[in-house]
Amino acid sequence: MRRGTRWSFRLGVLCAGIVVFGAVVSLVWTPYDPTTIAIVDRLQGPSARHWLGTDQFGRDVLSMLMRGGVNSLGVGLAAVLAGLLVGLALGILAAATAGSILDGLVMRSADLVFAFPVVLSAVMITAIAGAGAGNAVIAIAVFNVPVFARLSRAAALQVWSREFVMAARAMGLGSMRITLRHVLPNIAGLLIVQSTIQFALAILAEAGLSYLGLGVRPPDPSWGRMLNEAQTFLSRQPLNAIFPGLAIALAVLGFNLIGDGLRDRLDPRFQGAANRQARSVIR
Amino acid sequence: MTFIARRLIAALVTLLAAAVIIFVMLELLPGDPAAVVLGVNATPETLAALRSDFGLDRPILERFFRWLVGFATGDLGTSYTYRIPVAALIAERFAVTLPLAFLSILLAAAIGLPLGLFAAARANSASDTAVMVFAEIGLAVPSFWFAILLVLLFSVTLGWLPSGGFPGWDRGIVPGLKALILPAISLALPQAAVLARIMRGAALEAMAEPWMRTARAKGLSLPETMRRHVFRNALIPVLTILGLQVSFLIAGAIVIENVFSLPGLGRLVFQAIGQHDIIVVKDLVMVFSAMVILVNFLVDVLYGLVDPRLARGRA
Repeated sequence: MRRGTRWSFRLGVLCAGIVVFGAVVSLVWTPYDPTTIAIVDRLQGPSARHWLGTDQFGRDVLSMLMRGGVNSLGVGLAAVLAGLLVGLALGILAAATAGSILDGLVMRSADLVFAFPVVLSAVMITAIAGAGAGNAVIAIAVFNVPVFARLSRAAALQVWSREFVMAARAMGLGSMRITLRHVLPNIAGLLIVQSTIQFALAILAEAGLSYLGLGVRPPDPSWGRMLNEAQTFLSRQPLNAIFPGLAIALAVLGFNLIGDGLRDRLDPRFQGAANRQARSVIR
Repeated sequence: MTFIARRLIAALVTLLAAAVIIFVMLELLPGDPAAVVLGVNATPETLAALRSDFGLDRPILERFFRWLVGFATGDLGTSYTYRIPVAALIAERFAVTLPLAFLSILLAAAIGLPLGLFAAARANSASDTAVMVFAEIGLAVPSFWFAILLVLLFSVTLGWLPSGGFPGWDRGIVPGLKALILPAISLALPQAAVLARIMRGAALEAMAEPWMRTARAKGLSLPETMRRHVFRNALIPVLTILGLQVSFLIAGAIVIENVFSLPGLGRLVFQAIGQHDIIVVKDLVMVFSAMVILVNFLVDVLYGLVDPRLARGRA
């Protein structure tokens, strides 16, 4: 591993660590209750009492940021895990039946879903089922499925063409056993790398959705909605538009750097496939 | 030729599949559009009359085919809430979104491609690192936050540019462009970051080719080799990403148009959903999908032009 890469990996762990730490701590303790309204204290700058100031309802910004992290990270994690599970299942199935109608169907549907902007499907899902964290998870997961389906198919196909798989076949092992025993362990590293990067993207997507009012519902705090509300009071308290954005950028940067670092540690055989997939960024 | 025909058929099939999915998904929408338009005081008779006016009493298959045929002939129906033809509504909003998208792609390419080439030419130097740090930050900063920061600087603090709204093109080009420049910059940042990274990687790969040494041995300077040989050879991966980015651009436009209250397609689809204006939603989502599919088709065709080997390989 190059020296620069090692440093950026550590920086990533630090950035992501700060955000995750804040979110985890907020589960048991926050400086103030993030939903308590105190109009007299509204739109204050940072002080000893409120380290990052207060919003337009006098709520403590630091407490809201910490609790908002739980929502952002939670929605992102759930969406990536759901996308990974469904995508992986479809991808290895397509690889095991390579060239069949099933394979073609899975891949063409993946192309179709992939062409569809995540915010647009989120807007449609919300229109049908209403705003809320669950629907944000579904919308982001829908985008993640084709990413993982394509990646696991491509990686699994590489494994299928290796000698030890042919040997396993010659020994009479079925497709199912080969997939479980040989394919999955060999593509796991690649999937972990991709999951880290998709997690960063999911955090960005969640922020965008909650900015539009399509994420967790108030009064539960979320970074995107904090930015939306801060925009209204931009001339009176500009700092409120700074901190939530920093939190998002810190989280995304952190997980991106971790993902890059992990990818560089991976077997170079897969680097081509990983690079191609990793940078399909949503915004 | 057969290559293009094949890609065209594939694109049309995808378009049809998208139409079916969009139609079925929006059929599931709860709420009666007629009731939304008439409000709470509607009598059953007026409701029924309006429903037949909208064609909502027809069987679902008939409605689907009417919608498709209407789409092909440019008749997109009438908006429930605006009471004007959807085609006119979309055309009006296109006048905002299209220039916005065009400006931001232009900006992203103008910033990202030279930066990527520059970083590749000086690989592993301090300037290379600086470009890569810029790209990493560009990827991590949400475009709508960047937009708010730009408003904070250029509108609230300096007062140079409007913080939102759109005066309309009939008030002149300059006020229109002034309203679009901040949104275009915020949309362009993440795209420029992606393009810089892809361009750098592709250029590095191209520079490792043997013809690179030949070109240098012939006496071509490094900048000249970069421009004449490396740039062209690196364009294929860049084209792929540009095609993909159109769908990200649409997603970005929905958010950014809301940040700046721009009357474009993205804001329209968002508002139409709030108003249960299903015809507008259906048509707009279809227009978005058609744009994405069209651009990807064009990218495929371009591949064939940029690199004839690919066309033969795929056909």
